[in-house]
Amino acid sequence: MSGAAVVRVLRNPRYAILAFAVSLFVFLFATWLPNLALIQSVLGTPGVTPVSKLAFLASLAGSIATNFTLFSAAVTVAIALLFGIHIALFVYLVRRRVQSVRLGSSAAGGLMGLMSGIFGIGCAACGSVVLTGMLTAAGASGALALMPFKGEEFGIIGITLLLVAISMTAKRITDPQTCRID
Amino acid sequence: MPDEPATPQIPPIQQAPKPENALAIPLAIIIAGALIAGAVIYNPNSDASQRKGADNPNVAAEDSSAKLENLAPITSADHIRGNPDAPVKIVEYSDTECPFCKRFHPTMQQVMDEYGDSGKVAWVYRHFPLDQLHKKARKEAEATECAAELGGNDGFWKYLDRLMEITPANDGLDPAELPNIAAYVGLDVQQFNTCLANGTYAQKVEAHVQNAIATGGNGTPWSIVVGPNGTKYPLSGAQPYQSVKQLIELALTEK
Repeated sequence: MSGAAVVRVLRNPRYAILAFAVSLFVFLFATWLPNLALIQSVLGTPGVTPVSKLAFLASLAGSIATNFTLFSAAVTVAIALLFGIHIALFVYLVRRRVQSVRLGSSAAGGLMGLMSGIFGIGCAACGSVVLTGMLTAAGASGALALMPFKGEEFGIIGITLLLVAISMTAKRITDPQTCRID
Repeated sequence: MPDEPATPQIPPIQQAPKPENALAIPLAIIIAGALIAGAVIYNPNSDASQRKGADNPNVAAEDSSAKLENLAPITSADHIRGNPDAPVKIVEYSDTECPFCKRFHPTMQQVMDEYGDSGKVAWVYRHFPLDQLHKKARKEAEATECAAELGGNDGFWKYLDRLMEITPANDGLDPAELPNIAAYVGLDVQQFNTCLANGTYAQKVEAHVQNAIATGGNGTPWSIVVGPNGTKYPLSGAQPYQSVKQLIELALTEK
């Protein structure tokens, strides 16, 4: 039933494009995150043409093959895809909504899934990019080394939360629009 | 007068039930936004964050571009592949047990294949063993220095290439392999073992580690691309060859 709702929404080209655009953004964010200072430096260098800047940004997407383990690359792609699908479903639902439709938990689930996924972004050698920065700032950089999968656990949690959020949102879509008596 | 009909009781107006988890959306948006902002602000390669192990507490207060200026000068004591006077130098801080350094090593070899003969790019190798993740890496770093003592610059690079080739990474290399690699590249194994046992180069390795941290490195491979006019570009991680090539081309255009 959830699958039917997902297919129904994504069959609409507008929502398919929305899902793709959001997925692409999340994916690029994940590959650019370890090198924000470099990107800032390249984009700010005078004399570099816009085409060269774009080409450089695009080339960094290739780091999914070089700077990620197979597991973390799979998690990153999965989170990007799932979040894009979730956003498309959510926008579809919001556009159809009536006041009584409850959106809070599915929206929260999707955002929590993305948040957890962001924690999971990074490589096994350097650990979670986000956690490394935040935990180091708090003076606890060794915490990542203690985790069995060096922070990649958060990616699994993120995928799980996103699947739950998609399921909840899809159910809302397929629920008949009624005023419920509580 | 007939009794007036009873006034129908009109139930009080009920408030529409509030959607469940009314605060969930704004709270989730705020938390997500804070996390994403935190990822950008506290990104090790963006602005200031405390670096555990940095000797100079003032280093932590510098922003990322200022930290790059802490790069120790490239001297004849460094291990340089290619033309030491090349206009572009790539200083790589590496951990021999890091799987991403292992992946990045062939990328750098490809860089040198393309730019080394023309003298445009030099590859400078420095040590950054991550003790918390790879306990064997520090001793392996010292081993490469012993190879340099016995075999010169060529001996160092042959030893490093072979080590990177055979290590399974993630502390998978048997320490017994270190003298075997020395033998493989034609070094005196007895002298190599003596050098390694003495810990002669422990201090040099530690100095590289401190400099890596001072320049903003918090993972490996951590590279700094230095342009002809001294401009420094931070390159974190095992980036694909195309990215490194474009960065080199950008640096080469500098006057």
